[in-house]
Amino acid sequence: MKVNKFLSWCLVLALGFASVACSDDDEPEWNDNGSKVELPYNRMFILNEGSFNQNNAGISFFAPKNDAASISDIFYQQNGMRLGDTGQSMIEYRDNIYVAVYGSNYLAKLNAACVEITRKSFVSDSDLSAGIRYMTAKDGYIYASFYGGIVAKINANTLDVEAKLQTGGANLEGIAIEGNNLYVANSYEKVYNPETDKNVYNYLTDVFVIDLRSFTKKETLTVVKNPNQLVEEEDKLFLISWDYSRESYVLQMIDPKANNSVKELGYATNMAAGNDMLYLVDSRTDYSSKPYVTTNTFSSYDIKSGRLNQTSFLKNAPAELTNASVYMMTVDDETGDIYIGVTHYSDSNGDMYRFKKDGTFVEKFDCGGQNPKAAVFFD
Amino acid sequence: MSGELWNSPIPPDNMPDQLTEMVKNKYLSTLFIVASSLLPLKGWCGTLLPDTVTTGTEQKIGEVTVTAKRSPVRVSAGVPVQFLSGENMSELGIQNIADAVRRFAGTNVRDYGGIGGLKTVSVRNMGAAHTGVSYDGAPVSNCQGGQIDIGRFSLDNVSMLSLAIGQSEDMLQPARLYASAAVLNIVTATPQFEGNRRSAFEVQMKGGSFGYVSPMVRWWQKVGSRVRTSVDGNFLRADGNYPYTLVNGKYVTRERRSNSAIDSWHGEANVYYDMPGGGDLQVKGYYFYSKRGLPGAVTLYNPISTETLWDKNGFVQAKFRKNFGAKWRFQALGKYNYGWNRDREYGNQFTGGMYQDLHTQHEYYLSASAEYKPLEPLSLALAQDGVVNTLKSTLGECPFPKRYTSLSAFSARWRKGLLTANATLTGTYITENVKQGKAPKDIKRLLPSVSLSVQPWREKMFFVRAMYKSTFRTPSFNDLYYDRLGNRSLRPEKANEYDLGITWSKSFFPAMDYFSVTLDGYYNDVTDKIVAFPTTYAWRMANYGTVHVKGMDITLATAFSLPAGINLALSAAYTWQQARDLTDPDSKNYKAQLPYTPEHSGNVAATVKTPWFTVGYSLVGVGMRYYMSQNIPENEIDGYVEQTLTLGHEFNLKGCRMGLRGEIINLGNEQYDVIKFYPMPGRSWRIVANFKF
Repeated sequence: MKVNKFLSWCLVLALGFASVACSDDDEPEWNDNGSKVELPYNRMFILNEGSFNQNNAGISFFAPKNDAASISDIFYQQNGMRLGDTGQSMIEYRDNIYVAVYGSNYLAKLNAACVEITRKSFVSDSDLSAGIRYMTAKDGYIYASFYGGIVAKINANTLDVEAKLQTGGANLEGIAIEGNNLYVANSYEKVYNPETDKNVYNYLTDVFVIDLRSFTKKETLTVVKNPNQLVEEEDKLFLISWDYSRESYVLQMIDPKANNSVKELGYATNMAAGNDMLYLVDSRTDYSSKPYVTTNTFSSYDIKSGRLNQTSFLKNAPAELTNASVYMMTVDDETGDIYIGVTHYSDSNGDMYRFKKDGTFVEKFDCGGQNPKAAVFFD
Repeated sequence: MSGELWNSPIPPDNMPDQLTEMVKNKYLSTLFIVASSLLPLKGWCGTLLPDTVTTGTEQKIGEVTVTAKRSPVRVSAGVPVQFLSGENMSELGIQNIADAVRRFAGTNVRDYGGIGGLKTVSVRNMGAAHTGVSYDGAPVSNCQGGQIDIGRFSLDNVSMLSLAIGQSEDMLQPARLYASAAVLNIVTATPQFEGNRRSAFEVQMKGGSFGYVSPMVRWWQKVGSRVRTSVDGNFLRADGNYPYTLVNGKYVTRERRSNSAIDSWHGEANVYYDMPGGGDLQVKGYYFYSKRGLPGAVTLYNPISTETLWDKNGFVQAKFRKNFGAKWRFQALGKYNYGWNRDREYGNQFTGGMYQDLHTQHEYYLSASAEYKPLEPLSLALAQDGVVNTLKSTLGECPFPKRYTSLSAFSARWRKGLLTANATLTGTYITENVKQGKAPKDIKRLLPSVSLSVQPWREKMFFVRAMYKSTFRTPSFNDLYYDRLGNRSLRPEKANEYDLGITWSKSFFPAMDYFSVTLDGYYNDVTDKIVAFPTTYAWRMANYGTVHVKGMDITLATAFSLPAGINLALSAAYTWQQARDLTDPDSKNYKAQLPYTPEHSGNVAATVKTPWFTVGYSLVGVGMRYYMSQNIPENEIDGYVEQTLTLGHEFNLKGCRMGLRGEIINLGNEQYDVIKFYPMPGRSWRIVANFKF
């Protein structure tokens, strides 16, 4: 018995060591070529939008396991140059970072240490000169929305623009893929009418559905006006329209399996998908008394059950978060941690609030730049 | 008397009272020297001076020749007043009015670069909208944006530029100028005729770097014995495509500004009528047109810029002044102003590929002011203005506002012995009509100001001065109505100014014309600041900010008359300033220095005039600033030193006067930004040829 017990323990230990060893071996080696800094395995990169015309967009590094010091602009540190003007969007795809910079109007591919591998400028492309906005990726291609109504199909490896689709829209914003369809929001147009001598903003009500196989527009969905943020989760698409005529921005769900039906779910000004949930915040400003105060209401939508939970998904959030200006929310797919980015606009750097999957507050840290816009995780 | 003009030792607006004191003062000659000019002036005093000069009993002083020098600061004023003459600006190679104003202590000029770039002036960090601008005594306004672009005024026909912080001492001025926290006075040249001539002409050509060409013509004509006329016109064009160095981390590249060309026309016609029985009337017509590319901020990796701005501005103004006996003075002013601008941009983001905004403003302005001296030491004045402003815009939600403003100012001055005290109460009533939506609430304000100047020792030109002034700035039409951003419930932005200073002047030896020093410590607070306030994603104008400013301005000036007809003038100014944002104690920028506010700034100027040539040298230095609100190293913007050197000569050619001047601007080829990512030109040159006949 004792021998058996001893052997059993040896077996357990051996398996344990083996599993640890396997774990290390199984972890992918990030491409850190050219890195000037040693980075831990787990990484979070935050895209700071910066302020318009200030060329102060940047990418900051944060170690989720707190095993390395934060770096306020790792893009600058690694590449010796600034990211540019107005960091618009950032995604992680095939262990690389893709960052779109709207004012500077280019797309860059970075490795896992934020070292630039290649970039594509759209400044001299007359179709794309109005500026890149949002991105999504599939099957080796980056699909990017542009002001001016174009969706570009970009080789994720070389960043060559292989196809451009004129959607007939004006200024495109959020973009997401479900199945073989690409969904893109057609937000607004700015028009000068020489006959009436009037300038108007027309808020549009379109989400275009594009067949990825043929890269042609196959359908136009009608949504609440000024559609903007678009995310995909659990085979459904969630859209926030910035309808200034409603009491707040409008959250909608597009169900591809129900013939792309569009359904209003409620009000939300920002959202993040993860953990089979849609995390929501509704920020409203009270203009009835001065100083104006913005109040955030956090809620969640259980995508699988289709149930909206009006109770905050945050348990012990710092009090100041209630009145902060939430600029982004995101979820770390691996850990389920929820991150809420708060802006102080051009006054100062933004702050990031981190919560566990169950809503427990973990920490708050400086974003290293202004207007935190997006984040990607390597873990 | 020769055609040389008397160079006033004191600014013209305050001449009678000052001269009264001077004549009484046994140290008259000292004062003449002390409060004298950097360099002899020609041209401005004739009409700026009242036609009679009060000396206790009214006496007429005819044409006189005085070659005394003027200090660029007022030592006897209860408030800080600084000025620059047109000639002095030429000799120092000053490029435009913004370039001149930044040499005044306590100013903060925002210059968006290039000849056509927007230039605004904020005094002691109260904000550009608190600075009033007067053009030949009539207020200049911009109800749409609230702040005046001083870059568009030509320097060619400016004879005097002065900046009064707080309450100007002229009691016979429009109520709107009483209501401003600081006033920049632009005074244009008036016709002067040598001997028995009845006409005078001037042709000038300027040329310089980056395609700069600016011809100017002037015609002065005497009509009868009481009427003089003047017509001025100038054209300016420049490519503005100057090179600059762009530093982006480890990459340093030479770039060129693009889309920064400018064409502009400016013309003025004036009629001056010396009325029988005293009194004078000036009628001015003014027109300005410009088309300029707006290069915008330098955007890394994206040089595309397609925005163009057209401006048209025309006004007609008439000013009448008359003395009624020794006790009453009266001024009436009327003005109609037309402003139009078109902002056009191309790009695929606009449906149809193009977008443009058009704005048209009209202003109808009437002002009357009267001054009464019931007792010798006491002067009382009442000014009443009525203004109507309208805005028409192509912006979708423009409600076509019409603003009616009534401004009243009652002021009193007590001047006896060594004490001068001023007090003013300014009342404002504003009501607006709109064609869409609800009009903002009426504005009713009653605000005081007081100033005091004491000369402790009669035999010394040493003064102690103190000033308090409460002002506000009215929300602009953009603040109230701009599409989506405007907020019709805005309150006025309030400002309080406090100043305590000493001034001293002395001539240490005969060759020294004067040596003057001023030192002012000040504190300002601005509350209910009108700022764009972020609400979720949309921005909206709001009364939100609070700013406290403390600072110190020091000016020094001296001049020497040396043998062989050599004159030397030196001046310097230094400003120390802390402008703190006290809006939100929980924010990261709480108590941070405001953006674009250097803690240290200053300038030095020197001119040497000889019978053979004139040399001018000036240096403007600005310390490190922050270009964003948070005071962190990433937001720092380097300080800079800019130097200008000029060499000029005037000579007679067949009975005509000809002048040639060469200027090297930014001698050290310093690459700097006043506003981050709006690079200023490096070293450049300009040649000015002037022909008077």
